[in-house]
Amino acid sequence: MDRITLKNYRCFHDRQTARLAPLTLLVGENSTGKTSFMALIRVLWDVAYGHRVPDFKKPPYDLGSFDEIVHNRGKGGSRVKVFEAGFDATPRHDMTVEEGNYCFEVTFGENLTAPVITRRRLTCNDAWIEDRVEKTHPRQIRFGTPNGSWRHYTFSDRHVAKDLDYDMIDSFFVLYTHLRSATKNPEDHPDLVPLGDSDLPVEEDMKRIRRIGYLDHFEMPTMGDKPRAYASAPVRSQPLRTYAPSRPTPDPQGDHVPMYLANLYFREQAQWNDLKHALETFGKTSGLFDEISIGPLGKRDSEPFQVQVRKFGGRLKGPRRNLIDMGYGVSQVLPVITELLRRDAPSMFLVQQPEVHLHPSAQAALGSLLCNVASRERQLVIETHSDHLLDRVRMDVRDGAGRLKPEDVSILYFERRDLDVRIHSLRLDEEGNVLGAPDGYRSFFLEETARSLWKRQSAGT
Amino acid sequence: MCAIVDADVAHEVFSSNPSEAGDKFFGWINKGSGRLVAAGKLLEELEAGSPEFRDWGSQAVLSGKMRTLKESEVSARTERIEHERRHRSNDAHILAVAQISGARLLYTNDGDLQKDFRDRKLIDKPPGRIYSTDKKKNPNKEFRPVHRRLLARNDLCRVE
Repeated sequence: MDRITLKNYRCFHDRQTARLAPLTLLVGENSTGKTSFMALIRVLWDVAYGHRVPDFKKPPYDLGSFDEIVHNRGKGGSRVKVFEAGFDATPRHDMTVEEGNYCFEVTFGENLTAPVITRRRLTCNDAWIEDRVEKTHPRQIRFGTPNGSWRHYTFSDRHVAKDLDYDMIDSFFVLYTHLRSATKNPEDHPDLVPLGDSDLPVEEDMKRIRRIGYLDHFEMPTMGDKPRAYASAPVRSQPLRTYAPSRPTPDPQGDHVPMYLANLYFREQAQWNDLKHALETFGKTSGLFDEISIGPLGKRDSEPFQVQVRKFGGRLKGPRRNLIDMGYGVSQVLPVITELLRRDAPSMFLVQQPEVHLHPSAQAALGSLLCNVASRERQLVIETHSDHLLDRVRMDVRDGAGRLKPEDVSILYFERRDLDVRIHSLRLDEEGNVLGAPDGYRSFFLEETARSLWKRQSAGT
Repeated sequence: MCAIVDADVAHEVFSSNPSEAGDKFFGWINKGSGRLVAAGKLLEELEAGSPEFRDWGSQAVLSGKMRTLKESEVSARTERIEHERRHRSNDAHILAVAQISGARLLYTNDGDLQKDFRDRKLIDKPPGRIYSTDKKKNPNKEFRPVHRRLLARNDLCRVE
């Protein structure tokens, strides 16, 4: 995802766009819509890549019903009936889809208090395909090329309204196959109607529509799998003294991580060694731990186990300690760094405040880790209040210490303006300068610093 | 709009006891739309002129209020200016910062540097402007209409 667009969503009234990069940092005061923004990215991802029904209540987010999600200006403000969102994406060169700019747009309406998709459109270069579900019309597919635009009803009129199925999220490719059969024999399909001054579509138009790289074909060849998104909760689960083997189903609070580590330890030794090395490298640079291990409590992998860490003391290695006996920072950051460092890391990783319970030096080390991990294949969206993390990212980019170039980092500043929130897309340059910052950006920090340094009457008014 | 502060007035801006004009200038950056540019030797001089400048500067960089430049680029430009010998002052490094960054507002009381900064052969597109608290003209270093007009301009910088 290169760019997110949104309108009338939560605290965002006007149409706005926000630039996403391999590493995107969300900053701003409390209650300025950062978590809502992350929830929207996850929903768009699920709808576009997974054809899943939009679920704004899927953990770790719970945005409530349609009324709570659509922009609301309170008494005296007109009630908004739909909200819109979308993203731009550029496929990587090694993907087997049409090169160019892709734009995915969704309009959400209300059905039985829940937000549902009433319109989806996928645009690739100069061709587009759209799916509409409206109460007053039959379900229809629209499509267009530079030669014209057309509409095709997929069901007859008698199915309108009572049979509306908002849960049917076909892939765009399925829609294309509907169109293909209709355009081959247009005389048998009176529902295929040109819009405006268009003529009937010709073979070249259908070729253009076919060339669109439907988002479900955006596979990640290097990972051999469909891209997946993972959203982490702002607070990770408490560690346990002993874990019983279970299925490591991904969980926002990281409940699955101990079992995931144990699975690797017992069954995938090579992967375990790689991950253990990567975790320990971070553990050392952050000062959190020097060694991590799985402590089986029986002879078989079906028996309980413990997660243990060790902090060396000079030449002495010291005892292995249970995760629960270490400071809270270790157990809080372990799920985050495991998801960042695992071989099959998510393509889109949404993390809220990964710095909680970490000492400033560990927060800075986490910033460096983000710089080393983020890429176009592993996009990280991090909501943070940590200056130490932010400044480390800035310095690593400036010094070329990580893998990221200035354009690989986006800082999204969420600024409250009365009832609305404005998203500012800030950038870094090669010298680590922050570009595009509005006047009020970090004003609190500047005023506090000035006050702390100079006891002056006016404090620079 | 972005500006440069000469080390000879650092104590007027970055201190517990600023001049009125310096305090307004500081507020224009710290709370307003002003942006500061500093790099290389000038940064060192500002830190020498105001010991707390470094602490404030690190916050200002993170907040997008202060911009630094590549040292090698500033050094090369400084050498070029010195080689061309068009300037009167001993502040070629400040002229270099202005030329590279596009900053066109300079806070200084150094007469030679003021002349250099107004010299369109050295600083142009747009020409440089001076914010000063000269002892003779403004002995109490007050914030005057001329200062207000300068801080209200938004055409004295080519950078964000």
